[in-house]
Amino acid sequence: MADIGANGDRENFKVVGGQGNPPGVVSYAMATGLAKYGVDYVLPNMLHAKFLHSPYANAKVAGINDAKARALSGVVDILTWEDEDIRDLVPRCFDFLSDRPWLDNIADRSGAEVAAIVVAEDEETCEEALRLLEIEWEMLPHVTDLREGNKLGAPVVRPGEDAKPTFWNYLSAEGQPPKRGNTYTVVDIRGDVCEAFGEAENLIEYDLRLPPFATRSPNPLASVAWWEKHPYTGEEPNLYIEGSVRWRDALSLTYKMPMEKIYMEGLFMGGKYCDWSLRRCQEVTPLLAKRYGRPVRCADRREHMYDFLMNERFIQMKVAFTKDGLITAIDDYSLCDKGGRGSAPFGHVGDLSQGPYKTTKCKSVRQKMEVVDSNRGVMWLSGQHCPFNWDTITTGIYIIAEQLGKDPIDIARLNLHGPTSPDDTNPVPSFDKCVEAGKKLMDWNWHPSGAKQLEDGRMHGACFRYQMTPRHSMKERHSKLEYRDGVVHMPSRGPIIGTYAVEANAMVVAEELGIPYEDVSIDFDAVAAHCIYGGGSDGTVGPAWAMKECVQILKELLKEAAIDYAENPGKPNSSFHNVGQHFPTPGPFRGCGPEELEVADGRVFLKSEPSKGILISEVTHKNIVATHSAWPPPGVWVTGNMGEILDLMNTEYCEVAVDAETGEVEILRFGIAADVGKILRRTSLESQIDQAVFFSQGCQQFEDMFYDPKTGVLLNTNMADYKVPGMLDVPIVEKSILETRAGNGVYGANGMSHCITNTNMLIIAIHNAAGVWVEPPATPDKVLKALGKA
Amino acid sequence: MPETIELNINGIAKQLDAAPNRTLHDALQYQMGLTGAKHMCDRGACGSCTVIMDGRPVLSCSILVCECEGKAIETIEGIAADPKWKPLVDAYCKWDAMQCGYCTPGFLTTAKALIDRSPNPSEQDCREALAGNICMCGTYPRHATAILEAARNMNSEGGGLNG
Ligand code: FES
Ligand code: FES
Repeated sequence: MADIGANGDRENFKVVGGQGNPPGVVSYAMATGLAKYGVDYVLPNMLHAKFLHSPYANAKVAGINDAKARALSGVVDILTWEDEDIRDLVPRCFDFLSDRPWLDNIADRSGAEVAAIVVAEDEETCEEALRLLEIEWEMLPHVTDLREGNKLGAPVVRPGEDAKPTFWNYLSAEGQPPKRGNTYTVVDIRGDVCEAFGEAENLIEYDLRLPPFATRSPNPLASVAWWEKHPYTGEEPNLYIEGSVRWRDALSLTYKMPMEKIYMEGLFMGGKYCDWSLRRCQEVTPLLAKRYGRPVRCADRREHMYDFLMNERFIQMKVAFTKDGLITAIDDYSLCDKGGRGSAPFGHVGDLSQGPYKTTKCKSVRQKMEVVDSNRGVMWLSGQHCPFNWDTITTGIYIIAEQLGKDPIDIARLNLHGPTSPDDTNPVPSFDKCVEAGKKLMDWNWHPSGAKQLEDGRMHGACFRYQMTPRHSMKERHSKLEYRDGVVHMPSRGPIIGTYAVEANAMVVAEELGIPYEDVSIDFDAVAAHCIYGGGSDGTVGPAWAMKECVQILKELLKEAAIDYAENPGKPNSSFHNVGQHFPTPGPFRGCGPEELEVADGRVFLKSEPSKGILISEVTHKNIVATHSAWPPPGVWVTGNMGEILDLMNTEYCEVAVDAETGEVEILRFGIAADVGKILRRTSLESQIDQAVFFSQGCQQFEDMFYDPKTGVLLNTNMADYKVPGMLDVPIVEKSILETRAGNGVYGANGMSHCITNTNMLIIAIHNAAGVWVEPPATPDKVLKALGKA
Repeated sequence: MPETIELNINGIAKQLDAAPNRTLHDALQYQMGLTGAKHMCDRGACGSCTVIMDGRPVLSCSILVCECEGKAIETIEGIAADPKWKPLVDAYCKWDAMQCGYCTPGFLTTAKALIDRSPNPSEQDCREALAGNICMCGTYPRHATAILEAARNMNSEGGGLNG
C-alpha cells in the first residue's frame, strides 16, 4: 500500500469483501425483467429506421434506385450517404474510429452499414424496403485470409490509405516504414537481440494462432431518440435518447448539443465487455427524430453484431534460454489483423509495450508486427486478453519446461524479475503466494507430455499460466455524497454493465460510515458526475478509491453539522412548511470542536466518551453535500510501466482429458489462484473469473469465424452457427483468492479485469496430454487429425 | 385467420392483435409493454425470450401470436409479482447469477418452470433444464446454486411449492 496512503488503512471490514453478498441494487431489476435496455424501449408514434448492410466483403455502392422502396406503403424516407446531415456526422467515441466515415458508399466487410437508411412505420416495412432497393454494387477485391493478404502482389484492399497504426502515447507513426501492399510493419526492439541469440545455449521455435472471437453483446444494440422542448423554459429542444448508455459526451459532440440538454433514463448497458463504442444504430436516431418530428428507433439484428472482441493473429516465436531455463532472448513475429476501417489498435500494435515480456528478466526482446488491412471485421475497442497477449510466454515456458524436464511453475519463477523493477532480482511474493495456493487447490503434480493416463483410458494434461493483476485507474474521478433526511445518497450515472462496480463503490461508503450497505441509497441518474468509466476493474478500484476520500469529507461535514445542530437545533416553524420533516434530538455536542468527535459504526460520538453519541441518521435535519475530485493513484496505463512493477499476480491452472479415440477434449477443471489485493464485492469477482474462463474456453473449444474464401463473407453470423459455451459445456472453476493489499486501488485492491482470459491454455494442456499441437478451437476433428487419425 | 385472439397473460384475460407474422415476443413488447422476455438470437437458439405457456417453457421469438389462442402465458413480470416466487428472485440476486442481466429473466423463467415440475431438483436437473439458455456473460456456474437454494427455501417455508 505504498502509494495509496490512508486510503488503504482499514483493517476490519464488515461490508466490503465479506462472504455474504449484499443484494445488488440493480440485481432485482435485472432478475425480474424490469431492467430496460435500448432495444426494449417503445414509444407512441415511433418510427423505425434500418441501415442497409453489405452482403459483400468489400464493395462500393455505385448507385441506388429507391423508387420501388419509396412506393411501399409505410415507408417514410430513404436517406443515403450523400445526405448533407449524414455527411456532417463524425464518429466521436474513440479517435481511432474516425478514420472510417460515419457512413459512405464503401462497405469494407460483410454486414457493414453502407450507403442507405430506410425510415418506415414499422420494422417489417423497413426490411421490405431494403429488399426493394435496387443497388448497383461494384465489387472490390477483399482480404479475409491474412497470410494471403500479406503476400507481395496480393490485391490491395484500401489503396491510397496509409494511416500508420498508432497507440496513444505508446507508439507514434513517426519512423514507421511505409506501407507495403496491405501491410504495415512495426518493430519494437529492446537490447541487443542479435548478440543474445548468438550466445544462446538453447533455442526453441514455435508457432501460435490467436483465435479471433466475437463480441459479447447479448442485447441487440439499439437506440430510441426523441426531442422535446425544455419543460420549463420552452426553449430549444432537449434530446432524449435510450440505448446509447454512457455516451452523452460523444452525442454532445456529434450533435453539437450541450451535455446538460441530453437525457437518458436507462443505464443498463448489456454485456459490452471492453467494447464500449457506439454503433451507428446508437447514433443515428437523434438526427432522424429531429427531421421527422417523431421518436425513432433503430436496432441492429444479431447477424450484424459479429464484430471482434479479439482479432486473429499468427505468431512465430524464437526463444533462447539457458540450461536452467532462464530466457535470454525473445524474437516475436506476428501477422496481425488490422481489421476494417475504424478498428482499434488493441489486438495488434497495442500489445507491443503491454505484453508479458517486461515481467521477465530477459532484456533482449524483438517484436515485429506485420499488420494487414483486411475485410474480416471491426474491433471496436479492446481485446479480452487483458493485459494483452500473454499466451506467447505461457507457451514458451511450457516448451522450455518440457525440454528440461521441469515444472513450468519453476521456469516461470526463475524468469520473473523482482517486484519493484526490472532490475530487482528478488522473488515476487505475490507470485509465490499464488503458486502455493494454486498447487494446493489443484493437487498440482506436474508430469511431462503423454505421461499420464486416467483410469478411463483418456490422456491427462495440464497447463500453468501466470499473469499480473494489473494496476487500474486511468482518469480523474468525481464523487459526490449527499446527506438528506438522514440518508446517505450516492448519485451515479453508472453505466450498469454488471452488478459490481457501482455497488462496490456504495459498499465502500457503507464500510467507512459503519452503516448497513442497504442504507446507502444509490441514486442512478444519467447526469450525475460519478461514473464507472472503464467498466469492471477500472470502474471499481479507481472510483472506489476516490469515493473513499469523499466519505472522509462527508465525515468531517457530519461532525460539524452535528455540533451546529446541537447548538442550534432545528424546530418546526409552522406545521404547514415542515410537514414530513424529521427534527432529530440533538446530540451531546454543544461547545465541542470537530476534532473531539468521531464518525464510525453508524454513529457520531465523542472520542473521549464513545457511549455519548447519536446515529448518523440523526445528525441534523439539514442537507449536507460532500464532493471530491481527484486522480486516484494511476494505473499502469497511465504510468506506462506495464509489467515492471509486480505487486499483485495471479496464476491459472487447467486440467484436461483427451480421448484419443474420439478426439474429444474435456476440461476437467480450471483453477484460479489470484491475488487481487482486496476483494471488494466477492460474488462479482467470482463471477468475473467465471466469465474470463468462459471466454477462454469458448475461443479454444468452440468459437471461430468462418469466411467464404471466394466471397470473403462471414458465414456464421447467428447463435446457432456461432457456438459459445452453454450450461452443459462449462467446466468447474476452482478459486483461491488472496488479499495481500499491495495494489493501488481502494484498500490496496487492483483490478482483476479479464487478465485471466487466455487463448492457449487448453491447447497447451492438450499437448501435455497427447503430445500434439492443435490449432484453436480444438474441435474433435482437429484433435484426431493432429493425432494422425483423421 | 381471426384478427385478434384471446389469451391469458399473467392471470389476466387479454386480446392481442394476431397479424399472421407477429411473434408472441413482439406482441408482448409492442402491445403489452412487457419487455422482460428479451430478444437475443431471434431464432430459438438462446432462451432469453422464454415465457411459460400452459406450464411449459417456450421461446416467444419462435411462436406466433396466432398460435396462442386460449393459452395461459406467464412472463417474468408475472412471476416476479407473485410472492410465491420471491425466494427464487431473492436467490438469484443473492448469488449474483447475473452480470449484465440481459439473459437473466429467461434463465429465471426456465428455472421457475423447472421448480414447478420438480420441486426438489438436483444440481444436474438445474443444469439440464437451463441447457437451452445462453448467457453471453458466462454466469452459468451460479444458476444451480441459486435455484437449489430457492427450492430449499420454498420447501421449508411450507406450502410454497406443494401447497
Ligand atoms: S430470442 Fe428467442 S430463443 Fe433467442
Ligand atoms: S448476464 Fe449478460 S447475458 Fe447473461
